[in-house]
Amino acid sequence: MLKLIAKRMGLMVVMLLGLAVITFTVANIAPGDPARLAAGPDANQEMVEQIRVERGFDRPLPVRFVLYIEQLLNGDFGTSVYTGRPVAKDIAQFLPATVELVLFSISIAILLGVPLGVIAAVRQNRPIDHAIRLLSVSGVALPMFWLGLMLQWYLALNLDLFPLGGRLGIFSDVPEPITGMISLDAVLRGQFAVVGEALWHMILPATALSLPALAAIIRVNRAEMLEVLGRDYVTNARAQGIGPWRIIAVYSLKNAILPTLAMIGLRFGWMLGGTVLVEGVFDFPGLGLYAAKAAISSDFEPIMAVTLTLGAAFMLINLVIDLLYAVLDPRVRNQI
Amino acid sequence: MDPLLDIQNLSLVFDTFDGTYHAIDDVSLSLKPGEALGLVGETGCGKSVLTRAAFGLVPSPPARITQGSVKLDGMELLGLSDRALRQVRGRQVAMIFQDPMTYLNPVFKVGTQLVDAIRAQHGGAIDRKAAREIALDMLEKVHLPNPLRQFESYPHELSGGMRQRILIAMALAARPKLLIADEPTTALDVTIQAQILDLMAELVDDMNLSMIMISHDLGVVAQVCSRVAVMYAGKIVEDAPIRDIFDSPLHPYTQGLLGALPHPFRPADDLESIPGNLPDLLDPPPGCRFAGRCTYRRPECTVPISLENVEPGHSVACVLRPGEAATTDSATKDLNHA
Ligand SMILES: Nc1ncnc2c1ncn2[C@@H]1O[C@H](COP(=O)(O)OP(=O)(O)OP(=O)(O)O)[C@@H](O)[C@H]1O
Ligand code: SF4
Ligand SMILES: [Mg+2]
Repeated sequence: MLKLIAKRMGLMVVMLLGLAVITFTVANIAPGDPARLAAGPDANQEMVEQIRVERGFDRPLPVRFVLYIEQLLNGDFGTSVYTGRPVAKDIAQFLPATVELVLFSISIAILLGVPLGVIAAVRQNRPIDHAIRLLSVSGVALPMFWLGLMLQWYLALNLDLFPLGGRLGIFSDVPEPITGMISLDAVLRGQFAVVGEALWHMILPATALSLPALAAIIRVNRAEMLEVLGRDYVTNARAQGIGPWRIIAVYSLKNAILPTLAMIGLRFGWMLGGTVLVEGVFDFPGLGLYAAKAAISSDFEPIMAVTLTLGAAFMLINLVIDLLYAVLDPRVRNQI
Repeated sequence: MDPLLDIQNLSLVFDTFDGTYHAIDDVSLSLKPGEALGLVGETGCGKSVLTRAAFGLVPSPPARITQGSVKLDGMELLGLSDRALRQVRGRQVAMIFQDPMTYLNPVFKVGTQLVDAIRAQHGGAIDRKAAREIALDMLEKVHLPNPLRQFESYPHELSGGMRQRILIAMALAARPKLLIADEPTTALDVTIQAQILDLMAELVDDMNLSMIMISHDLGVVAQVCSRVAVMYAGKIVEDAPIRDIFDSPLHPYTQGLLGALPHPFRPADDLESIPGNLPDLLDPPPGCRFAGRCTYRRPECTVPISLENVEPGHSVACVLRPGEAATTDSATKDLNHA
C-alpha cells in the first residue's frame, strides 16, 4: 500500500510537469504581450522594453520554462498583475472556497446518485425507474452554465428563495479561518447559524455543479446494480434465505459501487473545471472565478498556478479513489 | 408414504420481448422422503428453471407461473409471501449450484458469507458467535483442510473444489430436508468431481437428506440416484427407477441420451448425438415436443401427450408402448453396471 502511494506520488510529479509544459506553451502562444501587460496601461514603450528584459520575456520559451520551474521549486508562484498580490496568497485565499463548494457538490451527487441508481435498478422499468432516468438524462443534457443562470434567475431573483451569490450575507459574522472553508470553520468555532447560511449560499451553485455528476453516477450505478443483481452469488444468497434489504444494500452494492467509484473520480475533474463557469455565475469567490478573471486579463502566473493546483487536486482525488478501491475489493488489494 | 416434495401440473412462461416463452409445461414430479432423484436433459430444457421456480427463485417478471402447485411436506409453496418463502429456502430446502467460482460473493470473506447465511437460515434467531461455531463445524464436515483459515479467506484465494465444499457447507448448515444440487460437479475437473460426489453421497446418508440432482450426465446421476426424470423442452418425458432407464428406456429421447453417453471403450468423438434442434418454445407444437427429432413419429404424435404410468414406478410421455421402439445397443447399456 505504501509502495503504491509512493509510486503514484512520483507519477504525479511527472504528470504535473507535463501539465505545466502544456499550459505554459498554450498561455505563451496566446495573443497578448506579457511585458506590456506587466508594465500596465500607462507605461511607455521604453518602460515596456525594460520590463521585458528584467522579467526575461525576451528569452526563448524553453529557457523561460526552466526558469519558471526553478522559481516554482523555490516556492514562488509569482505575482498576479490583476490583484497585485503574490499568487500563493491568492490561491491560499480562494482555494478553500472552491474545495468547499466541490466537496459539497460531490457529496450531493454521491448521496443522491447512489441510492437513486439502486432504486432505479431494483424497480427496473417501473414508473419510479422512468422518473429517475428522466432526471439522469436531463443532467446530461442541460449545460451547467445555463442551468446555473436559470436557477439563479428563477429561484433566487424571481422567487427570492435563495441568495443570488456569494459565500455569506454581508451582515454575517465570518468565522475566524482555520481551514478557510466557511461551513467547516463555523462548525469548529461553534457558530452554527453561520454553518446553515454558508450551506444555504452553496445550494444553487452546488446544484448546477452536481447535476451532471449526479446523472452520471445514477446511470453507472443503476447499470452496475442491474448486472450484479443477476449474478450467481445473488441467487445463492437468496437461496440461503437472506433478506432482500441485506442482499441489495450490502451484498450487491459493495460490488456495484466499484465502477461507480471510478466514475466519481472522473467527475471530480469535470467539477473542478465546472467551477470556472459556476463560480462566475454565482459570483462565488473561489479559484474558478479567480482563474476566469486571470484568463480574461492574460495574467500568466495565476493561470499557471491555478492549473497546476487543480491538476494536483484531481490527481490526489484519484489516488484516494484507487486506495478506496483496494479497501473495498480484496482482489485489487492483493495486486498492490 | 406421503411425498416430501410434490409438484403438480406446473407451467411457467417467460414474458420476453419476442413473445411468451413456454419454458415449463405441465410438469408433475414428486419425491419421497429419503429419495435421491436425478433430473437429466440437455442444456436449456428447463431443469434449473423448474427447480428454482418451485421455491420462488426465478425473478418475476419476466417469469410467470401460469398453473400448478408445489407442496413441500404438504404445505403449498406457490403464492406464499416472500418472507415465508425465505424461511422455507433457508431452513428446509438447500441448493448448491453449478459453478462454485461465481456463486460466492467476491468482495466478502467466506466466513462473513457463511455467518450471514446461517443467521438467515435461523431467521435471525442466533447471534454471530453461534453462527460462527456452526460454520466452522460445517467446514470440518465437508473436509476442508484448515477450516479456520478458509473461514478467513476471500473466495478468489480458494480452489474450485474448496469453494464447492464451502457452498455445500453453507447449504447444509441448517440441516435441511431437501437438497437441490444443480450440476454441482460440472465445472470441476474429473478427480475433484469424484471427491465432491463422494462427499455429497456421504452427507446425504449422514444427514438423511432427500435430494434432486440435476445433471446432463447420466453417469453422474447413476452414481448417486435411485430414480431419474428425463426432461425435454420444458416437459418431463420419462420418469423411472435408474435401472429401468438404462435397461428399458421407453422414450425415444431417453434412448437417444443413452446413445449419447460417453463409454469408456469408445473414443469420445464417436458420440451418437441426436440430430435436429429443440422446438421453438415461443410457439411450441401442440403435440409431442420431441416430434421434430423423432424417428418413430406418427400422426397421433401431434395431439397433446401426457405422462402415463406404464409399468410400476415407470412413466413415459410417448405414444409408443414397451417393445415398440428399438432398444439401444448393449454396449451403452452396460455402463450402469460398470
Ligand atoms: N430470465 C429468463 N428470461 C427468458 N428466458 C429464460 C430466463 N431464464 C431461463 N430462460 C430460458 O428457460 C429455458 C430453460 O433454462 P434452464 O436454465 O432451466 O435450462 P437448464 O435445463 O438448466 O440448462 P443447463 O443444463 O444449461 O443448465 C432456457 O431455454 C432459457 O433460455
Ligand atoms: S410421442 Fe411420437 S414423436 Fe414423441 S417421442 Fe413418442 S413417438 Fe416420438
Ligand atoms: Mg441449469
